[in-house]
Amino acid sequence: MFKVSLKNVLRPGFAGGTFKSGYRFQKYWDTPMATAFFCGETGAGLFIVSMLMDFLPGIILGLLITGVGKTFFHLTHMGVPSKAWRALLRPDRSWISRGLWGIIFFVGFGSIHVLGVLFNVVPAGLAPVVYMLAMAGAMVVVTYQGFAMSHSTAISFWSTGLMPISSMLYGLLMGTSLVLVLSLLGFSISNPEYFSMLGLAQVALIVAVQICLLSLLHGAKNGSKGAQQSYILLVKDFLARPFLFGVVGIGSIIPLLILLFVPTNFITSLIVTGCIMLGFYLFRLLVFKAGVLDPILSPADIFKR
Amino acid sequence: MTRYGMVFDIKRCIGCNACTVACKQENSLPDGVFFTRTLSAESGEYPNVSRTYLPTICNHCEDAPCEKVCPSGATWTRDDGIVMVDGDKCIGCGSCAVACPYDMRTQIEETQITNGLFGDGKLTPFEEQGYSRFECGTFTKCDFCSERVDGGLDPACVATCPTDARVFGDLDDPDSKVSKLIRDRMGRQPLPEKNTRPKVYYID
Repeated sequence: MFKVSLKNVLRPGFAGGTFKSGYRFQKYWDTPMATAFFCGETGAGLFIVSMLMDFLPGIILGLLITGVGKTFFHLTHMGVPSKAWRALLRPDRSWISRGLWGIIFFVGFGSIHVLGVLFNVVPAGLAPVVYMLAMAGAMVVVTYQGFAMSHSTAISFWSTGLMPISSMLYGLLMGTSLVLVLSLLGFSISNPEYFSMLGLAQVALIVAVQICLLSLLHGAKNGSKGAQQSYILLVKDFLARPFLFGVVGIGSIIPLLILLFVPTNFITSLIVTGCIMLGFYLFRLLVFKAGVLDPILSPADIFKR
Repeated sequence: MTRYGMVFDIKRCIGCNACTVACKQENSLPDGVFFTRTLSAESGEYPNVSRTYLPTICNHCEDAPCEKVCPSGATWTRDDGIVMVDGDKCIGCGSCAVACPYDMRTQIEETQITNGLFGDGKLTPFEEQGYSRFECGTFTKCDFCSERVDGGLDPACVATCPTDARVFGDLDDPDSKVSKLIRDRMGRQPLPEKNTRPKVYYID
């Protein structure tokens, strides 16, 4: 649908892989990294919502999605997977490093929490500490990827505080949606009142995600030249179709309409969650594909003086 | 204290890319890997058009974003300001490449060091010797030919430039050629708005 070789793409103003001056696409974070981000935010979001709802199937699934899915795709992306442990060494300055510590805390203490609930192996005095540490790890995992992107001033479109907010909102939205689907599948939520509360939260989160997306686009449209190129790519150029139809239409508007006007049952909930999941995955992918580097030095700037 | 930097005189650059070739030879760079590139840019409208050549290289930034984001400590800065990459520590996560506003990081792909320059899977003795310094999957970049600099020589691209468009020297020495050129001809850093404080300057 929007397959393009970013290394060699030649479009007005873009340099591609040539010896021309112009905009360049970032090309090193692509599908495996986007999938890893998607798994991380989905898993951590599901874990957080499930912990708040005391919903054990969601807690276990969240741990699996992050612990297995995210780890697998990160290793797939990594140039030297055998040295992945080295990413733990610089939490003082690198968000990737902080994120890895977050994953370890999240999966480690989350698993201990599950064991405590299932087999009662955690002493009562330690259970709240394990709970808090697992939640803290999950909070890091659900946001650090946004921080890692916003920390990069190279790509103006990413360099905004809205990136971690979008990560968190999407993570919580995915978590809420998956808990609702799982509960309709037969896994009961401890308190039935939570069900209607989650339904309302889902609608509110879809609206919040939309506001966040609009803010991101608004910031890009009025940002630096590189950010403006990202905006054009997402709204008018070859990424516009998947972004507008996929991320905005299928990922937000259709679920919102279904939730507002169709009675909730397992099928509608499944469709809503599928749409949100597709929209979120496309968002992750397209934000990477729309990452544009500014021209290093424009001759027009030189001759202006 | 010594703080190495480079000045590109755009008026002198003729776009011959001898620097690019010298760099590839000095560093035994595989096919498709460049530490320095001379970009061309056209401006104006017919008949008033001109072409400018813009040499580019790692800017060895004072506030290097690639170093800040590196999770493994593979990127580090020497006392003389040269930003280095330790291939043994690099995990190939790509954070440095994403953080560099100048697109000056390159990942070494397996095919680049196994196919050989002739693409037949056979490496020449020159390639065998040169490629041994690279590890597949790691990221690499210009180090101002640190081994030459340590031996008192200019980087290969500077030594090769036939028009003296590239000048290398100590930015902290007010009498060095680079400092004088920056001072007298209003040297400009690339993308100053990124707050990376590059040690490479352009003059025209």
